[in-house]
Amino acid sequence: MFRMKKRFTVLSALALSFSILAGCGTANNNSAGSAAAGGSASPAASNSASSSAPVEIQFYFTGSQNVKNLWDQLTPMFEEKNPDVKVKLVYIPSGTGAQPTYDRILAAKQAGKGSGGIDLYEDGLPVVTQGQKDDLWDTLSTSSVPNLVKVDAKTMEDVANLAVPYRSSAVVLAYNSEKVTAPPTTLDEVFDWIKKNPERFAYNDPSTGGSGSSFVTTTLYKDLPEEAIHNDDPAIEKDWAKGFATLKELGPYLYGKGIYPKKNQGTLDLLTSGEVDMIPAWSDMVLEQLDKGQLPATTKMQQITPGFNGGPTYLMVPKLSEKKEAAYKFLDFVLSPEAQAVMVKTMHGFPGIELTNMPQDIQDSFKGVSEGFRNFNVGELSKEINKRWQSDVAAQ
Amino acid sequence: MRKEVKMGIFGLCLVIPSFLLLSVIVIIPIILSFFESLRGETGGYDLSRYVYLFTDEGMRANIVFTLQVTIVSCVIVLAVSYALAVYMRFSTGRMVDLIRKTYMIPIFIPGVIATYGLINLLGNHGWLSRWLLLFGGTLPRIIFDQKGIIIANLWFNIPFTTMLLTSALAGIPNAVIESAKDIGASRLRIFFRIIMPLSYKTFLVAVTFVFMGVIGSFTAPFLVGPNAPQMLGVSMEQVFSVFQEREQAAAISFFTFLLCSLLGYFYIRSMVKEETARP
Repeated sequence: MFRMKKRFTVLSALALSFSILAGCGTANNNSAGSAAAGGSASPAASNSASSSAPVEIQFYFTGSQNVKNLWDQLTPMFEEKNPDVKVKLVYIPSGTGAQPTYDRILAAKQAGKGSGGIDLYEDGLPVVTQGQKDDLWDTLSTSSVPNLVKVDAKTMEDVANLAVPYRSSAVVLAYNSEKVTAPPTTLDEVFDWIKKNPERFAYNDPSTGGSGSSFVTTTLYKDLPEEAIHNDDPAIEKDWAKGFATLKELGPYLYGKGIYPKKNQGTLDLLTSGEVDMIPAWSDMVLEQLDKGQLPATTKMQQITPGFNGGPTYLMVPKLSEKKEAAYKFLDFVLSPEAQAVMVKTMHGFPGIELTNMPQDIQDSFKGVSEGFRNFNVGELSKEINKRWQSDVAAQ
Repeated sequence: MRKEVKMGIFGLCLVIPSFLLLSVIVIIPIILSFFESLRGETGGYDLSRYVYLFTDEGMRANIVFTLQVTIVSCVIVLAVSYALAVYMRFSTGRMVDLIRKTYMIPIFIPGVIATYGLINLLGNHGWLSRWLLLFGGTLPRIIFDQKGIIIANLWFNIPFTTMLLTSALAGIPNAVIESAKDIGASRLRIFFRIIMPLSYKTFLVAVTFVFMGVIGSFTAPFLVGPNAPQMLGVSMEQVFSVFQEREQAAAISFFTFLLCSLLGYFYIRSMVKEETARP
């Protein structure tokens, strides 16, 4: 009896260690196998493979809470229609987390380890162009993602077909219409308004959220030539001096004589509590919070000319991902009018596909809304802007 | 083998696992980040990151600000906690019961939630300022200011420090105090000659805990602190993930470690002194 028991123990220990070893091994085999399943052209083969185990793609995305809510809503819709694909959502809160994800994809490529387990990634234009230089993104075509025909061809050309713009958002001025009757329409008028209404304006710390960053960048490039916003040459840094001087000069007129709240939500909170009357904010966040009653109903929005920088958010498929077919399927779904309608309704963003493809009621709701944002593409320089802002403006 | 040698080997065996653990999770990372911090802009090894730490105006302001917050927080936390602990040890009554039952509540409230609570309470349009408005007063700026960080630190540190000190004071036998009273010692004398010396060691432990906790704090300084100067923790996060200067962040963290180890040195020295004084 004792020997039996001992033998059993040895056997089970062996079994356990083999299963662990096998587990380590399958990390590669599995993905290779699923890639084969997903990559095969014949639908029968992929179906037979999928009936046993759906392909799971890892989708890394970043943004505020509203972005997370959107994907939490869209993913089940997609999975219901495509039982052979599972989407694992990995949410990285905005502000700090996005760069390490990019670094991870890049590091995995350099180490010859594929795409680091990331099959789909969401971020802004700077990351798209950075990845273009590092040759990280897969080139997309209408044959793999049919719904791409619905996207404005010019936008796709801008990113060399490496990324899908699936939603757009603009930074606008959000203001309390009870206190502000004539909102400013140009940047100079904004500066004027700030000086005439001390401590009634706030923008957030640019390193913690896009709306504050947009205000800072737009100020820096106010008097620079139009093509400067598509330039990542460090030589331009000396031209920022005037813009930084303006920001510094504005400091004492801002909320709390120079307090810059953290994150996009920080300034929205101040607008809600009535501590300030005007802020730069993302249009989608304002619309969503108005809808939910989190912002007072008197809140209105105003775009200035030339516009604050804003723009589409993109989805990229890493070139070395082993589950591209499944990722294409998901992309195709995201660009379908049905998914875009959900995006417009829950996030109040502009659709990524051309409006003519959207249902009539949504087309109507965008009537008269000019896009109003400019695409800034200054690459690595945005890091430098944050650094200069911290030392020149925050610590003045 | 002699008995002492055997015991010595046995003792070493007992120590080795914890020492290995310590070296993997503490000592090696510190050494690595030290080397990281020595890497200069152009690749070679130099002290430029540390020079920047002390010559850059903003960074210097951050260091001074952090030390200010830490020292002020330590002094207030220890004064309040010690007073509370002494009061709970030597008094009786309903008030004491109430304090004893409630003083640990802050420990069970997550830091982020407590911080948002403080913002709602002490903010410019918070509850407190609205109450004050009824009486025609105005609240000075607390949130987005040094004061806010210090208040948050008090909230986070007083309960645990009080708990530590209470247990130390509970260890002082009543008999000692009563016999001192019998021979006519005044209250102050009893406090300074008996209670203070007997709880001094725990007091030192408490100082170390509060100091290290405050100097490395992040959540509260990030949410309620000013944009500049910043606490070192917030600055480190910014340098690391926004500016992406890993070497500079390593220099800040190593400097913070040096500050903490300075305090650790005094703590260990007093412990060693006490040990050797024993017969």
